[in-house]
Amino acid sequence: MFTITVNETGVIELTGRLDAAQTERAREVFNRLSDSAVVDMQHLDYISSAGLGVLLATQQRLAREGGKGLRLVHMNKMIRDVFRIARFDLIFTIE
Amino acid sequence: MTTPAAGGAAGTGDPMRQLFQKEMRSLDALFGFLTRFTRAERIDAAASYAIALAVEEFFTNMVKYSGGQGNPVLVEALRVGETVTVRLEEETTAPFDVTRPTQTQFDRPPLERRPGGLGIHIAKELLDDVQYDFKEGTSRITLIKHLEK
Repeated sequence: MFTITVNETGVIELTGRLDAAQTERAREVFNRLSDSAVVDMQHLDYISSAGLGVLLATQQRLAREGGKGLRLVHMNKMIRDVFRIARFDLIFTIE
Repeated sequence: MTTPAAGGAAGTGDPMRQLFQKEMRSLDALFGFLTRFTRAERIDAAASYAIALAVEEFFTNMVKYSGGQGNPVLVEALRVGETVTVRLEEETTAPFDVTRPTQTQFDRPPLERRPGGLGIHIAKELLDDVQYDFKEGTSRITLIKHLEK
């Protein structure tokens, strides 16, 4: 199961498993962003390259538009390893 | 859509097998199958993640690129000692190796990269071996993960 919500402070909260079957739901939310956003991954258990592609496309669009981009927080160790292997730690601010 | 699981007395070293229709909406059932396998075999969270990611990446590549849309994919998972082997098999008219090296665009500036090839790269990094063979009309991808003792 995967859910994506935007809380009252504008933080995007990802929960569950962001796999290739869930990217459209994620894209709908990320496509509405402008400038910057915090993405809370505390309850995200899993992400594959399909989910990484959504984040990358968003970061690229925000950069083209002069925005500050995404700040990814509370990432678990396994997802952090995936970001490192993909060299996405060079693309995103990860805290 | 999936067919019921067949075989697979968990923890005995017997493989678990299940057929999956080659379509994206099979992913939920595929993850369910893998979760049952990794729990039954007491595989740790990091290795379970690696196996799930690799299977998703290769399965979705088969959905997108390998043709033969009507053919299901047989997934077989087995733990022997500290080695986990997962095979994905489908009938195809010709070899189509979705495990071959792909361009990851690491040489491009980060914000100019495209995600193509990334999934297979990550999967290979997380696994210990990936093999492909084609024999008598069957394409077979074999994923091998050695568990930490």
